[in-house]
Amino acid sequence: MSQPVYDSQARGRVFKDTFKAFWDYRELILLLVKRDIAVRYKRSFLGLIWTLLNPLLTSLVLWFVFITIFSARLPDGTQFAPYLLAGVLIVTFFTQGFNQAADSIAQGSGILMKIYVPPQVFAFAGAVSNAVNFCFGLIALAFISLITGDGISLYFPLTIFVILFMLMYVTGLGLLVAVAYIRYDDTRSIFGILISFMMYLSPIFYPKEILSDVMLRVVNANPLTSFLDVFRYVFSNTGTATLGDWAYMSGFSIFILVIGIRNFARAWPRTVVMM
Amino acid sequence: MSNAIIEVLDASVSYTIRQGASPTLKETVIQAFKRESHDIEIKALQNLNLTLHPGEVLAVVGRNGAGKSTLLKLLARVLPPTQGRVIVRGSVSPMIELGAGFNTELTGHENIVLYGTLLGRTPKEMRERAPFIAQWAGLEESIELPLRTYSSGMVARLAFAIATDTVSDLILIDEVLSVGDADFQEKSKARMKELISSQAAAVLVTHDDSAAREMAHKALWIDHGRVMQYGEVNSVIDAYLGA
Repeated sequence: MSQPVYDSQARGRVFKDTFKAFWDYRELILLLVKRDIAVRYKRSFLGLIWTLLNPLLTSLVLWFVFITIFSARLPDGTQFAPYLLAGVLIVTFFTQGFNQAADSIAQGSGILMKIYVPPQVFAFAGAVSNAVNFCFGLIALAFISLITGDGISLYFPLTIFVILFMLMYVTGLGLLVAVAYIRYDDTRSIFGILISFMMYLSPIFYPKEILSDVMLRVVNANPLTSFLDVFRYVFSNTGTATLGDWAYMSGFSIFILVIGIRNFARAWPRTVVMM
Repeated sequence: MSNAIIEVLDASVSYTIRQGASPTLKETVIQAFKRESHDIEIKALQNLNLTLHPGEVLAVVGRNGAGKSTLLKLLARVLPPTQGRVIVRGSVSPMIELGAGFNTELTGHENIVLYGTLLGRTPKEMRERAPFIAQWAGLEESIELPLRTYSSGMVARLAFAIATDTVSDLILIDEVLSVGDADFQEKSKARMKELISSQAAAVLVTHDDSAAREMAHKALWIDHGRVMQYGEVNSVIDAYLGA
């Protein structure tokens, strides 16, 4: 008879254990993701349609502001609408994914401090449900791209890498701040400001060409910019993604995931004991 | 190799908090630069030794802040001890703060599947068990309604029914016997006894000394993280009440 034995002295390895937990708890992750989508669906009048409409309407507002008020134009003659929507989708994935990854642990802390479920699983599920949302958004983007005549790039299956690295990025960031979310009341608002700052320092609704040299360097240092460049390149074949963008996107995401996992494994027990 | 379900070997849990710790991140960062504050060590549990065999029930008594919930966290493997060792052999089912894992927007049925999966069972298994769980909790009629339409008694009944649906090797109980109306209390007490008689070990944290005497064999009295007395249930509870 093989019984599970828990021995507090049998020290595991942080990374191996975390990834093993993602696999072992895959059914729970699936359930949590489904729950997220179901709750969103049940709460809103329009249901799932809203996940499609939301990025479209957000883009519409931005489009209106930039086309009519600032009379902005993209330099190389590409359409503004798909450019904008692609930006909105990536940024939504990033901000909501990060927020949900961090918040799911804080929200679930009541149960996580009493029942043994690796909390990292909650963070990952929060990120995954935003990846699903992003995929719904891709349908809207494909629609807009075809209408405006931009079309879809043949490389679009490579979008999967953008999704994978964004999952790592937001899970890592979420784990990095989850403990602070539980311990300090003002973390949410502080990170809210930081995140929106990061958002505006990436080319969601402006082309990089309008930037000064200094600002261009700042914007290029933002990993979100590489995500945007790569995504626009593989999905719509607009913009340019260099090998450097690919390397920066993947390298930075892996780096953040590694420190997120390590930091969380250290900080979590200290938080559990205090609660 | 021992056949004990629980072995706690000289386990201690301690942590430090900064004096005047602030609930905001801004002030915490500012304080870190000032270096005025100093750390205080808090000993939540000190040199605890415990052994529990299959079929044995341990009652844990003590005032608020004695370290009872820290002990449950150790046994639920949520928290590793700072020093010493905790070994738990077999499956654990925690019955603590019933309903903490519930989502009020989901139906009773959906919550059975979700809560059961959180407790380590598979969604498929839970879907099969759901009708029986609903029946045991007396909630067949409202099982497809969202949980926000339930009364608190109904929620507690559902949680108890899910947590006790399976026989595990160790049951951790934190003040749940006082759940629901008199009928349900009788029913849940009977279910607890049934589980225990099937060779499960149980740890019962309670303020109800008559329930402790009735259900438990051993008792542990802790105060401020220190073991005051550990042994046969009646003598420990007499000592605790006399203190």
